[in-house]
Amino acid sequence: MSHTYQVGTPLEEVAVKEVSFEIKNQSFTAIVGHTGSGKSTLLQHLNGLLKPTSGYLTINGHKITPETKNKELGDLRQEVGFVFQFPEAQLFEETVLKDIAFAPKNFGKSEAEALEIAREKAKLVKLPEAVLERSPFELSGGQMRRVAIAGILAMSPKILVLDEPTAGLDPVGRFEMMELFKQLHQKEGLTIILVTHQMNDVANYADHVLVMEEGQLIADTTSKELFSDPSWLKAHHLSLPQTTDFAYQLQQRGISFETLPLTEHELARFLAPKLNQRGKIDG
Amino acid sequence: MNSIIEIKDLSFSYDHEEPKKVLDQVNLTIDQGQWVALIGHNGSGKSTLAKLIDGLLTPTTGTITVAGQTLSEETVWEIRDHIGMVFQNPDNQFIGADVAGDVAFGLENRGVPYEEMHLRVKEALKAVNMEKFAAHEPVRLSGGQKQRVAIAGVLALRPQIVIFDESTSMLDPKGRQEIVALMRRLNKEEGFTVISITHDIDEASLADRIIVLDDGKVIADDAPAKIFSRGNELFKIGLDVPYPERLKHELAHLGVQVPKKYLTEKEMVDWLCQYVLKK
Repeated sequence: MSHTYQVGTPLEEVAVKEVSFEIKNQSFTAIVGHTGSGKSTLLQHLNGLLKPTSGYLTINGHKITPETKNKELGDLRQEVGFVFQFPEAQLFEETVLKDIAFAPKNFGKSEAEALEIAREKAKLVKLPEAVLERSPFELSGGQMRRVAIAGILAMSPKILVLDEPTAGLDPVGRFEMMELFKQLHQKEGLTIILVTHQMNDVANYADHVLVMEEGQLIADTTSKELFSDPSWLKAHHLSLPQTTDFAYQLQQRGISFETLPLTEHELARFLAPKLNQRGKIDG
Repeated sequence: MNSIIEIKDLSFSYDHEEPKKVLDQVNLTIDQGQWVALIGHNGSGKSTLAKLIDGLLTPTTGTITVAGQTLSEETVWEIRDHIGMVFQNPDNQFIGADVAGDVAFGLENRGVPYEEMHLRVKEALKAVNMEKFAAHEPVRLSGGQKQRVAIAGVLALRPQIVIFDESTSMLDPKGRQEIVALMRRLNKEEGFTVISITHDIDEASLADRIIVLDDGKVIADDAPAKIFSRGNELFKIGLDVPYPERLKHELAHLGVQVPKKYLTEKEMVDWLCQYVLKK
């Protein structure tokens, strides 16, 4: 598929150019690339906010072509939950519970049913019982974001699309948020599509990675495979996860790795026997 | 060195009925020309402290002295001339129709004469390396470029102190590097006192001094290397630690004796190579 903005005007701009790929059901896919690489444009096709200007895509059995009408996309929008950057900006209800219940009510559930769903989803995103009757605007940034995510989960989507979901959170907030997505992926069986600049998160959470550059898909691979080639990443101005970068420095100094590790735990397990052995020799 | 900011017994709460204070008995002295990083989890009181220093909020108790003047209703306007603030979201800080107009906004507001204004805008855009973009529309700029324009707007007013309130947190890695490099230059080469409120531990590690806030109290105030050697303690209060500390923590967990002293990334590579490669 391709997407060109403002076709036939002097401002015509090709944002996504002849891209072909497949995302497996219940996978965890990361999309990486610089600002302006076309990843946001690509993302907006996944729930039909944009339609391709040529080519097509099929999501959960719904085919979207340049001719697809918006009214044919109702089901799709329920199946693909979209968490935009800073989703807390979209909160508006008087209480946390009402905010989460908004979507199911809108999709035809009764008040009681919608509130029941809201309670269940609030629990799923680990919001404490005590905040449910409070105004969402009294909560911390991390909690407000959880409310927004619960509101999206309340539509029972099959696919969750996340656009830099941890931006602006503090380190612990970031970690807890990523662990939540991991849980939604593993326990609830959601397909996760994550757009991020955080290579540590790609290494720790994603099994499949798509790399965009100037509107084109330049890699469609696993995270292990992607980070095993530091020189390719450098050539495309992409960073390595911290551990891989650190191990790469060790490799250049003569410590050899079969494959470069992705997490500090992996690296520590590799180094520890070599360091402990030294202890025995010295002692 | 001369102190430029002195904070004595500062406490603040938004609601006087609320017993829990946002800031609780804070005492700090910041020297002229220093680069200070202010870290702490969300809600620890960092941004509140910045707003108090700029007189956007009024202390519940205690005093703040900036450049020799005690902050009060009478002095607040003069004190604000010494301080430039750069905020988180570059899109919320744009006013002008083009880049130069945006930088000129604060000067126009202060009635700076046209010739002088022209000169200062040019100087400020040069300082942030954006002079080529003077006639551009803000919407067409990248996040890092927008943030540089916001900084130029601050520099044009010729403050002595620049406060960055999570100014890199919404930028991509490239934009972040641009702004951190600029902070460094403003401090080291141009002599500005820099206060950066940040979650980015790599940015904080470049500062002369790190102040750690937790629940409104200063719980640590020292050189970065000293702060980082407290590794796990920082993580417990919701903060990140530099990579070598994280790796040391994992190694210690597996029974390896690791150095207690904080090691930079290069020092950690040296330390590991020394023992792993020695046969």
